[in-house]
Amino acid sequence: MYTMNSMNEVLKEVMTIAGEFSIKEVTAREFIIFVEASRLNAILEILKRKGFSHLSLITGVDRIEDGVFEVFYTLFRWESGETLLVKSSVSRDAPVITTVMHLWPTARFYERDVHEFFGIVFDGNPDLKPLILENWNEMPPMRKDFDPQKYSDDHFPDRHYGAEFLVEGGDESE
Amino acid sequence: MSNEYKAWEKVANMLRSRSLWMLYYCTGCGAIELPPTMTSRFDMERLGIGPMATPRQADILLITGYLSTKTLRRVVYSYEQMQSPKYIVGFGSCTLNGGIYYDSYATINKLDLYVPVDLYLAGCMPRPEAIVSGFAALMSKIDRGEANGWKEYQEKNDWYKSNQIEALGEVYVHDEFHE
Repeated sequence: MYTMNSMNEVLKEVMTIAGEFSIKEVTAREFIIFVEASRLNAILEILKRKGFSHLSLITGVDRIEDGVFEVFYTLFRWESGETLLVKSSVSRDAPVITTVMHLWPTARFYERDVHEFFGIVFDGNPDLKPLILENWNEMPPMRKDFDPQKYSDDHFPDRHYGAEFLVEGGDESE
Repeated sequence: MSNEYKAWEKVANMLRSRSLWMLYYCTGCGAIELPPTMTSRFDMERLGIGPMATPRQADILLITGYLSTKTLRRVVYSYEQMQSPKYIVGFGSCTLNGGIYYDSYATINKLDLYVPVDLYLAGCMPRPEAIVSGFAALMSKIDRGEANGWKEYQEKNDWYKSNQIEALGEVYVHDEFHE
């Protein structure tokens, strides 16, 4: 039987095999662990064997002030209903991280998505073509230094309301 | 234009305005106002407007809400498949000026640059009363022979096409389902 602190037990076991990493408890059933990119695949593989067999999501965050992209792997454990967020980061200059397709084949599409919107390259994923965007030539749109307002102004003209319309609708100076 | 032809057009317009089949392109959240408009409370069918499943048999293309560049390609496809006379109704403020998505990288702001819009229903989102009153306005516009967006699309086709290409890069759809 799994008790409430089964997560702690699993994480301690993983630590004895793969070395130390920092843990943050969000709730009793939700934990975040921080792992360097070089050890990420080893730790995910052990976690998968320890019951975190369901990969719910891979997503990214652009931490532009720190010069890194964070990559999140959300794992779920069906036996105890616990969620584990495995957090890793890669530098913004050379955003390359190893694929997890050999552990979860469904990661193919999550990685395609993150690659498209952040430009992170998943080394080993053979299928990094665009998933959602079409004819996109700019920088990946979820990067913080991408300016959506400027892109929208350049590509999609806005409606300009004439002065008479504004007077009819009520002028602020009146 | 001969008088005989004009008279026939007048009768045709009267008949057209009283039997409208609508194809709704529900990409936006405003589509949630359509079920009450179509069902017993507001009962759109008493105006002679009914739903249609395919673009080839529809008269009205109702575009509810924002259009991303990706969906605009499909809208242009659907519109060009429709038989004339055909009318476009832009529903909600997103089709007018982008609405709350005015600064999105993926969403167009002005629908009438890309396809001819005969009637706009302003609001975020328009209530069923506004939709019914908008359709009544569209019907009288068709009756008067003023809903000529489909003729305009033929006459100014180059202008529409160049706007489409400017915003979309390419109208032809390339994706893994069309390869």
